[in-house]
Amino acid sequence: MLLIALFASLVFATGCGGETDTRPVITYSGSAVGSQGETVRRQIERFAKMHPEIVVRVQPSPDDATQRHQLFVQWLNAHVGDPDVMELDVIWTSEFAAAGWIRSLEQYSPTRGDFFPAAIEANTWNDTLYAIPWYVGVGLLYWRTDLLDHAPRSLDELVSQAERAMRASDGPPYGFVWQGARYEGLITSFVEYLGAFGAEIMNDSGDVVVDSPRAISALTFMRDEITRSRIAPPEVLTWHEEETRFAFQNGNAVFMRNWPYAYSLLSDSSQSRVAGHFAVATMPAAEGGHPTTALGGAELAINTYSEHPEIAWQLIQYLTAPEQQLERAAATGDYPTRRALYDDPRLAKALAVPLDQVRTAIESAVPRPVTPIYTELSGLLQVQLHRALTGQTSPANALHEAARQMKAVIRESGLDEREVATGSFAPAASVIPAKAGTHVRAGLDMGPRFRGDDGGGAAR
Amino acid sequence: MIARSNSDARLARWLVSPALVVIALVAIFPLGWTLWESLHRHDLRLPWIGQPFVGLGNYVRIIHDPRFWGALGHTALFTVVSVALELVLGLIFALAMNRAFRGRGLVRVAVLVPWAIPTVVAALLWRFLFDSQAGIANALLMQTGVIDKPIVWFVHAATAWVPVILADVWKTTPFVALLLLAGLQNIDSALYEAAAVDGAGAWRQLTRITIPLLKPAILLVLIFRTLDAFRVFDLIYVLTGGGPGTSTEPIALYAFNALLQNLQFGYGAAISVVIFLITFGLALIYIKGLGAGGAAGVEP
Repeated sequence: MLLIALFASLVFATGCGGETDTRPVITYSGSAVGSQGETVRRQIERFAKMHPEIVVRVQPSPDDATQRHQLFVQWLNAHVGDPDVMELDVIWTSEFAAAGWIRSLEQYSPTRGDFFPAAIEANTWNDTLYAIPWYVGVGLLYWRTDLLDHAPRSLDELVSQAERAMRASDGPPYGFVWQGARYEGLITSFVEYLGAFGAEIMNDSGDVVVDSPRAISALTFMRDEITRSRIAPPEVLTWHEEETRFAFQNGNAVFMRNWPYAYSLLSDSSQSRVAGHFAVATMPAAEGGHPTTALGGAELAINTYSEHPEIAWQLIQYLTAPEQQLERAAATGDYPTRRALYDDPRLAKALAVPLDQVRTAIESAVPRPVTPIYTELSGLLQVQLHRALTGQTSPANALHEAARQMKAVIRESGLDEREVATGSFAPAASVIPAKAGTHVRAGLDMGPRFRGDDGGGAAR
Repeated sequence: MIARSNSDARLARWLVSPALVVIALVAIFPLGWTLWESLHRHDLRLPWIGQPFVGLGNYVRIIHDPRFWGALGHTALFTVVSVALELVLGLIFALAMNRAFRGRGLVRVAVLVPWAIPTVVAALLWRFLFDSQAGIANALLMQTGVIDKPIVWFVHAATAWVPVILADVWKTTPFVALLLLAGLQNIDSALYEAAAVDGAGAWRQLTRITIPLLKPAILLVLIFRTLDAFRVFDLIYVLTGGGPGTSTEPIALYAFNALLQNLQFGYGAAISVVIFLITFGLALIYIKGLGAGGAAGVEP
């Protein structure tokens, strides 16, 4: 199913501008399937009508994030000028910024304060803003109101509630379902447990601290859910978002960790057995930690090689304006990134999830590590997490190994954290000007450096 | 005369040159480029390091990369087990199909069905069969009392191999059977009649006549299947994604991972070159074997 969607979306839309048309052409590329695609096309058409002097094109790219990432990187390596405006996953911004593939937005004096701080933080590299948050996704804890009378206040309570509900006659077979397959979703689950235990993947100065004692406790807790308290079925280690939703939707689980998209599907009584019997909350914390939700979502950025950056900026402003965000929320259920909209009654009407239930979750969201080599670090961590959770190694060994590999990759990348501490940036600076000096490189003068996720501090 | 044959030779060169150009473009040029890439540190995501020449640095890194050796081990395991099973089962099917019975033509066509199904579709099918809750595999094993609670196949390193190898055997045994069937039909039935007169039983006929005379076909099967199995990618990509952890990750999937997920073109190219060298070496060994076997096969 996924593959079909992928191939379908790989078919490129080719523009058909007339030969005599000398108007500037700007291209948007991002997810273009389903209700998201319809909404974007509609909004872009309106934008084009408002600006008859330009031509706007939509260039669909794969809906699957990994595939789109691969395609974008190949285009940008070839210094292709279109798409001008790109939909980025929240974890790519620093990578694209450090590579010099997207423009600094500082010259347009963006209004940072209008957006959620965690989303701004994820789009900031070297104190420079490179992308505008378009919509946010946050991890939510879905819980069954027909089985429990309140959301858990701690992780221990979550376990005991799940155990009790499972023991009851005709109680559900699963206590807690989450995304445990070896993919990016496992990292988002893990980040939430890390925060709950007061740990993080990288600290503020960019050191890898994923093998700290608290982090080991967090991973041990995840493993124990499967092997000790058995509130999570071992199947979660092969599950993505949809498999967990099916389990929860069929009434087979007490708790589910998932993104907001599931809410309206679960509320649909024609396909859901739990319609009207569930609510959402923020993932609870353990002692010494704080409730943490992983930040997801999409960003809009301008291609460095774009010939019309000014128009591209206008398009970004249009798409992220309050009216368009409200329209999108109503059509797709995506959460706006503008804080003020959460006081707007129109948003409460547009979204399925009650705003008060989701607002605390967004406020406690933390970005995953903001680093240009995030995807590679994530890949290494995914393997080790999965090894520990499938019982191939202990949580401590897995995290020590992950930390060792992540540090090695950081060392080899020329982004050594010591350069950050001393404020100099010798290795990259000596290479870039000779190699890429002919290109506009907004990030060049600052030089890449590491920013760890701050364990939720910035969200408050 | 001499001038004449010279011009013939020139004409011949002109006539084959388009083919040579095509081969150079589609085979030699990419190979050469991959080799060149493998001597550089080239990471698409780290443009600021450029593309420095690192000599054999990527190959040294491969030697010290436990994930590479793990992947090589998985590939060898997969190749040996699946090819052995396919050969034995394929021979049994071929012998059965070689006998005269009603509807033989239909059976020969029907056997090919798994081979005709695209690998990705077949892999998804097997994923469903081995689903822990709704899969037929667990239902069958529980009904027959082999297990008392469902196995979560894709979560344990050992059990994840079961669907992978079964799917490959299911899919490619028909191909093996057809190749062997072609070989069987080349064996003179008079040999069996003579053997029967001399008092040789069925087993003796199999080991003394069928298998020796089938050697060229068997070698052909081994070449095709070993090289294919060694480059296994799509089946495992869909079935397990190389997991749990990396315990079913074959070498081709690791190369794909380095190249297209991590965008490390230099390192990925080096892994690809190693895969190429290994398969090339295997092919050479088999071709030598096939040459000898082929010569033996045409003896009266």
